This record gives sequence, C-alpha cells and structure tokens, in this order.
Amino acid sequence: MLLLQVKKAWNKVFSSIRTSMIVSFSILIVSALLVFLVVSLNYTQDRILNNSISYTTQIIDLINTDIDSYIDYMENISLLVSNNNDVQQYLFGQTTSSAQQKTIFERIQAQFKTVMESRKDISNVVVFSNQGRSLVNTGNDELNQNISLYDLEWAMEAIKRENGTSLSSSHVQNLVKNKYQWVVTLSRAIRNPYTNERAGLFFIDLNYDIISDLCENNSMGERGYIYILDKDGRIIYHPQQQLLYSGLKEERIEEILESKTSYFVTNEGTDSRLYTISRSEKTGWTIVGVAYTDELMKGKEETQLIYLFTAGILFMIAVITATLLSSTITKPIKVLKNSMKEVEKGNFESASITLHSNNEIGSLSNSFNVMTEEIQNLMQQNIYEQRQKRKSELRALQSQINPHFLYNTLDSIIWMAEGGRNTEVVLMTSSLAKLMRQSFSNQAETVSIEKEVEYVRSYLTIQKMRYKDKLEFEIKIDQDIRQIEIVKLILQPLVENAIYHGIKYKEEIGLIQIEGLECDGKIQLIIKDNGAGMNAETLEHILDEKKENKHSNGVGVYNVHMRLQLYYGPQYGVRYESVLGEGTKVTVTIPGRG
Amino acid sequence: MRNQKHKILLALALLGIVAMGWVLGRGVQEENQIKMVYIPKIIDNNNEFWTALIAGARMAAEEYHIDLTIIAPQREEDFEKQNALILEAIKQNPDVILVSPSHYTGTLEAVKEVRKRGIKLVFIDSEVKEPVWDSIVATDNFIAGSKMGNLAKSYIDDNTEIAVVGHVKSSSTAIERIRGLEYILGKRKSQIVETVFCDSTFEKAYSLTEELVKKYPDLDLVIGTNEYAAVGAANAIKDLGMAGKIKMVGFDNSIEEVQLLEEGVFVGIVVQKPFNMGYLGIEQAYKILKNEEFKVQLDSGSELITKENMYTEENQKLLFPFVGRQFREAQD
Repeated sequence: MLLLQVKKAWNKVFSSIRTSMIVSFSILIVSALLVFLVVSLNYTQDRILNNSISYTTQIIDLINTDIDSYIDYMENISLLVSNNNDVQQYLFGQTTSSAQQKTIFERIQAQFKTVMESRKDISNVVVFSNQGRSLVNTGNDELNQNISLYDLEWAMEAIKRENGTSLSSSHVQNLVKNKYQWVVTLSRAIRNPYTNERAGLFFIDLNYDIISDLCENNSMGERGYIYILDKDGRIIYHPQQQLLYSGLKEERIEEILESKTSYFVTNEGTDSRLYTISRSEKTGWTIVGVAYTDELMKGKEETQLIYLFTAGILFMIAVITATLLSSTITKPIKVLKNSMKEVEKGNFESASITLHSNNEIGSLSNSFNVMTEEIQNLMQQNIYEQRQKRKSELRALQSQINPHFLYNTLDSIIWMAEGGRNTEVVLMTSSLAKLMRQSFSNQAETVSIEKEVEYVRSYLTIQKMRYKDKLEFEIKIDQDIRQIEIVKLILQPLVENAIYHGIKYKEEIGLIQIEGLECDGKIQLIIKDNGAGMNAETLEHILDEKKENKHSNGVGVYNVHMRLQLYYGPQYGVRYESVLGEGTKVTVTIPGRG
Repeated sequence: MRNQKHKILLALALLGIVAMGWVLGRGVQEENQIKMVYIPKIIDNNNEFWTALIAGARMAAEEYHIDLTIIAPQREEDFEKQNALILEAIKQNPDVILVSPSHYTGTLEAVKEVRKRGIKLVFIDSEVKEPVWDSIVATDNFIAGSKMGNLAKSYIDDNTEIAVVGHVKSSSTAIERIRGLEYILGKRKSQIVETVFCDSTFEKAYSLTEELVKKYPDLDLVIGTNEYAAVGAANAIKDLGMAGKIKMVGFDNSIEEVQLLEEGVFVGIVVQKPFNMGYLGIEQAYKILKNEEFKVQLDSGSELITKENMYTEENQKLLFPFVGRQFREAQD
C-alpha cells in the first residue's frame, strides 16, 4: 500500500521532463556536495587533531624537562648540604666543644633559613642523625617522636641507597611535628665521616607550588589539565587531587601506564579527550596532558559552518541553474506539443513554429513545420479537386433539359398548329425558345433572380398552356432582390415537382404562387401550391437522395438542396412545409446582399 | 504543476535558512545559574570536620557552576539561630536549600517551611524526626557507631567499665552512633556506666570526663562520639595521666586526634568522609534539579583507623585532606 503510494508520488514527480531533470540534477549535486563536505571535513579534522597532538606533545615534553631540572636543582641542594662539613660536624662531631658546636649549628641554621625564606615551594628542610641530633627548618620545628623511621618507606629507601638522592611519591609528611602536609620528599643519606656509615638523613619536602605552577600555566584549553604519576601509577600531582583521593573522581591510570604510544584519544562524545604522555628517565614520573578534543576542534565548528554555508549557496545556484537549463531545453518541446495539439484540432495555420535554435529540437520543429505545411497543401488540393468535381457534375446536371418535356411541348405545338391556334403556338414556341436559350447559352454557374424567375415563368407558361385550365400561377418578386445572383436552375425543378406531385392530382384549378423577398438579411424564394399536399412521412423523406423523381428533368429536390448547401453553406437550402389535401410550401433560402 | 515546483523550491530555501539559524543559534543558548544555600551547623576553622565538609561542598559548586551561599550559626547546638537562618535563606528563593539540621526535632518546623515554598531540600550529615527531605547525604551513623563498638569490644572483658561522652543529646547523629555502638556491645551494653553529653564543646567534654574519672575510679574505656567529645575527653585523660590505662575510642578526624592516636591515647578513631559528604550533597541537589537519577538516602561512608594502619596510602588520603591550591581556594 505504502509502496504503491510511493510509486504514485514518484511517477507524479517525474511526470515531466523538466521536473525529472531538476530532481536528478539536484540529487546529483547534493551527493557530490555531501561527498565533498565529508572528505574535506575529515581531512580538516585530521589536520587539526595532528596539529593538536604535536602541540600538546611539545608542551608536555617541555614540562617534563622543567620538572627534571627542578628536581635536579633540589638534588644539587641536597648534595651541597649532605657534603657540607658543618652539617657532618654537627651531626657526628665528637671532639668539638659546645661553643664550637653552637657556632656550627648557627651556621647551618642560617643556611636553612635562607633556603626556607627564599623558596616558598619548600615545606621542610630537615637533617638528622641516628645520634639524636637534628635540625628541622629554621630550628623552630621538631621531629615527631611518635613516628618510627623504619615505618617510612621513603626514608628507608634513601638510607639503603648507596649514593644519590631518592624521590618519594606524594605522601603526608608526619615526621615533622604538627605539620602533616602532603609533600614530595627528596632525601639523601649522610655518611658519618668517622665511620663512613650512612648514619644520617637529609630531606627536603616539596609542596606543590612549583609543580602546580608548571602544570597549570600551560594551556591545555579551558577544560584541559596536566597531571603527574609516579612509576607505580600513584598520583604525584593532579589539579583535582582531593577529589581523586576521596574517590569522587577517577583518572585513567592503567591506560596511561600501559600505553605504548605517546598519546591516545578517548571516545566519550563531547567529553572525548586527547591524552599526551611523557615519561621522565630521571624521576620515573609520567607527565600526562589531557585536552578535550572539542576544544581542540573549536575551529572545526567554524570550518563546518563555512563549508555548510558554501555548500548551501552552491546548491541553490545549482538548483536555479538546473531550473533555467531544463526550461530552455523543455520549452521548445512544450511549444511543439502545443502545436501538435492545434494540428489535432485541425488548425494548421496557427500550428507553425518559430525556430529559435539549431539543435535537435530545432530540426525536429523544422520537420514538423514542413510536415504540417505539406498536410495543409494536400488537404487544400483535395478540397479544390472535390469542388471541381462537383462543379462539373453540377454543370452537367444544369445543362440537361428533360427530353420528355421537350417532346411533350413540341407535341403540344404541333397539335395547336394543326388546330390553327397561331397566337398560342407563337406564345408557346417563344417560351420554349427562351427556356432553351437560357438553358444552353449561359455557362455561368449563377444567374440573377430576375433571370431565374423568367426561366420559371417561361416554363410555367408552357405548362399552363399544356394543362389549359388546370393551372394558374402568380409571381411576385420584390424589386430590391431581382438583381441578386442565385445558383441556376433552382426554382424550375421545385415548380416542376409542385405540378407533378401537387397540382396534377387536383380536380379544380391549381394555383402556384412564387414569392421573393428579403427577410432577416437572407433572401427567401417561396413556392406555394394548393395541390394534394403530403403526409408527414413523405414530407420527412422529401430531401432524401433516393427520392429522385423520374418524371422531372433529373434535377430533383435533393439535388437542388445539395447544390444550395454546397454553394452557400449548410445553413442555406430548401425547406418544405405541407398539409395533406391543402397544399405545399417550399422555401428556398440564400444569403442576402453583403 | 509550475506553482507546486515553486513551492518546493521555496520550502528548500526556507529549510536552508532554518538550518543555518539553528547552527548559529546553538552556541547562544545559556542556562541560568543554579542558586543554592547551605546552612551547616557551624562554620569553625578549628573544626576540621566542618571545614572539610564545606570545602567539599564548595568544590562541587565550582565543578557544577553553582552559585552557593553558606551561612551558619556560631555555635553548633544553637538550633534556634539555625532556624532563623533557614527562614532567611527561603527569602532568597534559591533552587535548593541544603541543611545540616542541628536539632532532631527543633529544626523540623523550619525545614518543613522550605518544602512548603516548593524549594528542594537536601540534608547533609544530620536528619530530623520526619523524612521531609528530597535527599539526604550523611554518614550512616548507626554503622559508624557499630564500628566504634567493634573496636571497643576487643578491649572489653567482663569487668570493663565503659563511659560514653556524647556530643549533642538531641542530635540525630549522636542518637544513631550510640544506638550502633550499643547494638554491637549487645549484653555488654550494661557495662556502660554512664552516658554524658558535652553539647559539642571541648571544655564541657573535658570537665565531664574529669568528673567521670573521679566518679568511676575503675573506668577502663571512654568512647567519644564526635571531635569535640573525643578530643575533650582524650585531653582530660591524658592530663590526668591515665593515658594507656583508660583506653579511648574516638570519632572524627583532626590533627589533634591524629596526634592523640599517634601517642596512643586513642586506640582507634572512626572517621567520616566530610569532604565527600559536602561534595555529594551538592551533587545530589544538582541531580535533583536536572532530573537525573539521585539517591534519597546516600551513605558517604566511614572508616575505622587505628595507630597501626593510619599511614597506609589509603588512610593517609582519608585523614589528611590534600591541601592543594584548589582546596585552599575552596576553603576561602
């Protein structure tokens, strides 16, 4: 059902060449644009991502280097302190006097004070020995006696180490009384110069001032950040360290440690992140940069917009072009179609097409023009020939005078001459002569009404003389219409018909009245007789072709009617009215003047 | 046919314009900032519980871009003042009011008023007699109390005399913790010689403990139910020279408590997670507003910490807030 509807709609859309062209063009263009869009967007996106990766990698490597040199600097301090003679003397000296001891202590104290005051990133500077001597910061703090050194992982690592410093992870420094700060501790064992045993410890606690400065001053975008892991995956520094420690948030740690590449991208929709990793040989730490891809791709949206906008404009231009183009192609076709419709209706004159182009449609139109012209010529020729044929037929018909009539008339003349009725012989003979002259001499198709009436008068005169008292006639023609031309030999056959079929069967004297007048711009010639009349059936078939009268001179009523219609058109011709026993009225209608 | 085609073209053009408008307009829409008011029992920089809780709340507010106002009475047991502050908060017409009710019954009317005004109500840390809250984030104090009970039990024999120093008698937290404690003690509950309440002051806890020690010379075990009670009692015992002889079980977390634990005055302390509590409280409130899934009752958890395990990696994180830059900013 749905399929059918779709098909219907499809057919409707593609019902014209123009629409199918526009739709196909549009589909083609849209597909091309889409492919172009996808390809260019992907390409741009890849480029932006690659740029971002190399950019963040640079930043992370830089931070790694900075942190290395920061730790390096601290190591140098620890080296200076632990190799310092004063420190060793203070921690392990046995022979010096208490006064000397005091001076040494004050010298170290001053040194520590300088360090503490100049560096805000150092929480504690501590030196102590297994003999109970210690200096914590400026001397105002003390060691926490409740803590055993052996419980401290970082301290044990430093003491076990033959040489060099050790670096702790982030931890709470509980060795300094009352402070309990989260720090990173850099520690180094101090050898007793007398026994060469590692019998003392120096350590610096680093708070996160420098580290967080290093990590936070580098732009990873608005939401991006940098964090640091130690070699075991514990967090050294994270901008949301407390949230991680509280278990309220989680950070990708396993993935970082296991990652073999220097970056990876997570797929979390708008929270997709680019992780950039840099490991330090020196500290064993891993610096991780986190950037949000949608921030990196900020330019992406703009690019998308520009691409989309351009595509939209291109699409519109394409649609307009397609519309115009298809119009120019289909317009001549439409013109051709309309012309064909005209030809279908038979209007050849208006069917001709004006040519605008020389393309296929142009030559098609040309052929069409030639074809219609040819058809038109043929038709005209056909009509002409038909008309010629009719004319010759007509002429043949017109020129005929019924030979019976002639014989009968001549018989009458002879009979009258024998009877010595000279006057009558003269009248009849002159009438016959008139009749025959008119019949033979004039080759023209038409005669004036006057002449036509004269002809019928001659005919009636002869007939009246033949039928003696049985026939009377009256002719009354308006003066105005006498000169009007009429097809020849119209009245006589009708009168003849009236005599043979009307008057002849009447006992009393028959009367034929011929009247000519102009009515409503048409000429009417009326022949009335008071003869036998016709019944309805006869009246109905009076104009049929078959109803040819063998008594007439061959020019029957049908013939008269046909000739009139042929000559003047279908609205003209012969009309019969008749009442049985009372008479018949024939009206001949032809066009009037003008 | 021709007309129809024009219509199609027009529709296409309109569609294009609408699409462009949508793309351009997408960036413009901006949410109104959510406004919340939190009324804790007290703001006291010397009290690490409330300090951490407020820091957590502030950090969550920052995380979720919430306009958070915090107002509190000067004294923890002053529930009348807190009621006045709640009514004041209602006038500000925030989206959510968060309260740590000071009084199990006394705060009830004020918080009912919050609900009546159609403002969302979230409790942090404590509750009131009737469940009028949309959500509550608190330590399950019955469980926390039973953790104290479990530790205490290992130091108890048939002759042990126990005293309990509670904080505020009418507060839900004290009631629940003591209930949990007594539940674990079971029969030995009868060995509790006395339960006193210090109204959440160090001084009163100190003096009450002194009196208890005098009153019951054979006292073996003292249990404190919050920071004020535990530290006040521990200091009294320490000052009386009874440390080690009279065992102490503490509650909550502060540097002083940590030191007393290191020294062995406390055999153990049960710590709550105030930072989490504050953070989760705001988070729940946010979820309610955003129609996201939230819990009507959320336990922020508690842990038992003894001298032996106090410096493990996990417990360090529990006992000592990481005072990074962000934390400090959240505190200010």
